[in-house]
Amino acid sequence: MSKAVEFLRSLGLTCKEVKQARRYVFEVSPDKLRVVVTGLIKLNLNIYSSTISVVDYINEGVIEVNYCLWVIDEKLMIVLRVRVPRDSPKVPTIHDIIPGALNGELEAYDLFGVVFEGNDKLRRGFLVPLDIANQGVFPLRKDFKV
Amino acid sequence: MSLIEIPVGPQHPALHEPILLRVRADGERVVGIQVVTGYNHRGVEKLGERSTWSKDVFLYSRICGICNTVHAQTYTQGVEAIGGIEVPPRAQYLRTLVMELERIHSHILICAVMAEVVGFDSLFMLMMRDREPVMMLKELVTGNRVIADYYVLGGVRRDLDEVKKDKILKVLEGVEARVKYYKKIFMEDYTITKRLLGVGVIKPSEAVAYSLVGPTLRGSGVKSDVRADDPYAAYGEIPFNVVTYSDGDSLSRMLVRLDETLESIEMIRYIIKHLPEGPIAPKTPIRTLHEGEAFSRVEAPRGELIYHIVSKGGDKPYRVKVRTPSFNNIINGVIAYRDARIADVPVILTSFDPCISCTERILVIDERNGSTKVLSLKDLSRWGK
Repeated sequence: MSKAVEFLRSLGLTCKEVKQARRYVFEVSPDKLRVVVTGLIKLNLNIYSSTISVVDYINEGVIEVNYCLWVIDEKLMIVLRVRVPRDSPKVPTIHDIIPGALNGELEAYDLFGVVFEGNDKLRRGFLVPLDIANQGVFPLRKDFKV
Repeated sequence: MSLIEIPVGPQHPALHEPILLRVRADGERVVGIQVVTGYNHRGVEKLGERSTWSKDVFLYSRICGICNTVHAQTYTQGVEAIGGIEVPPRAQYLRTLVMELERIHSHILICAVMAEVVGFDSLFMLMMRDREPVMMLKELVTGNRVIADYYVLGGVRRDLDEVKKDKILKVLEGVEARVKYYKKIFMEDYTITKRLLGVGVIKPSEAVAYSLVGPTLRGSGVKSDVRADDPYAAYGEIPFNVVTYSDGDSLSRMLVRLDETLESIEMIRYIIKHLPEGPIAPKTPIRTLHEGEAFSRVEAPRGELIYHIVSKGGDKPYRVKVRTPSFNNIINGVIAYRDARIADVPVILTSFDPCISCTERILVIDERNGSTKVLSLKDLSRWGK
């Protein structure tokens, strides 16, 4: 059994069923995220941040932030799923724990307006052209009309 | 001594990720690099939400010219996972064949570009000449030289007959001999080793922490390859070695690519010998999907490519998140420039195989007298000699 999955289960997190092999999706509350990620890194496994995928569920008023972490030694993907309210999407930063998460956080802030608290490198205009960014809109949200 | 800032980039019309590196230099030594992006965000993810499942195959394969079939693979295998669509074994083998052809020409291309960056122009031309037959093979199999559009949901568009098989084997024989020769040059030639050896070293622990992927990660000695660790298409059935080099410098990253090219040639031989019989696509096209989601990973020539696809049912995707390997390697790869010399910047950037051509022109600003001078990538490369 995988050390990483065992550890997450020992924290009381439940794994969501997914069809694909080698994918483990865990829902985490925003205030526990840093504890969970720090714990994973302390397991001494080679883990890298594959991507941070954001999904805007406009009808539910929720923004979902998916941290996709690939565990090289155990050949599996841990997805930490954080759901935050759409009107104030705030999650703690993890880029000081996993430096490779920086690009994902910058992208998610610029395209979806997810604020990663503690990340002082967040800025508009990382991917979005400044004339659009200056209007204070986030182009990949569902209510942004093209 | 005052610091000099050298903007490397940002515009190039040919490739899809124009980017600017603001290089701060103390004399010849690089003390800091800031990556400036945002010149050409095309909103492909947003566009995909308005199109249908089957049309999006063609949209996402246009994200990248060089690695278009891997984008099509990542998208279709994600959709197939959500829909529980079975792909016939023959189609899986044919997909793998095309992806490996793409890897061969992509790796030869970046090695050729590296030769040009270090000033070895004759090697660049020879390698580009020898890349061309592989492009022709891609055309032979898919019908197109660059953008293949070979994929449909559940299969592929064209079959392979005996004549084409023989042609592929014959051409690859010539390509293999040339790649072996180029590997010898990269390992032994004075010009190349002088410019690449020990340049832009990334330690294995850093490569993992900074989430670098593909040949950049394997060049630092970390054995991680989606084809082996998380098999897709027919990779679970095809024997191959995951190539790693432990030095972590620019030369290691190039040698990983050259060795992988030779591995890919062997894989194609295996595929042609063991190509299963049967259909290549479903009889009825797939139009709608039920609810679900998939995290789809593929080893692109530049590293791990990942799509997160969310379906809420119907004929359109709800969300398709695309993360290309260059996004990790370029933004997080700034650690490799520490204490490099200015002339090493294009070498290190090229060793990441960036999907951009941002080093096309260089502007040197002397902060002491405010004078500016525009240099080409070639001029910049010559500084190191």
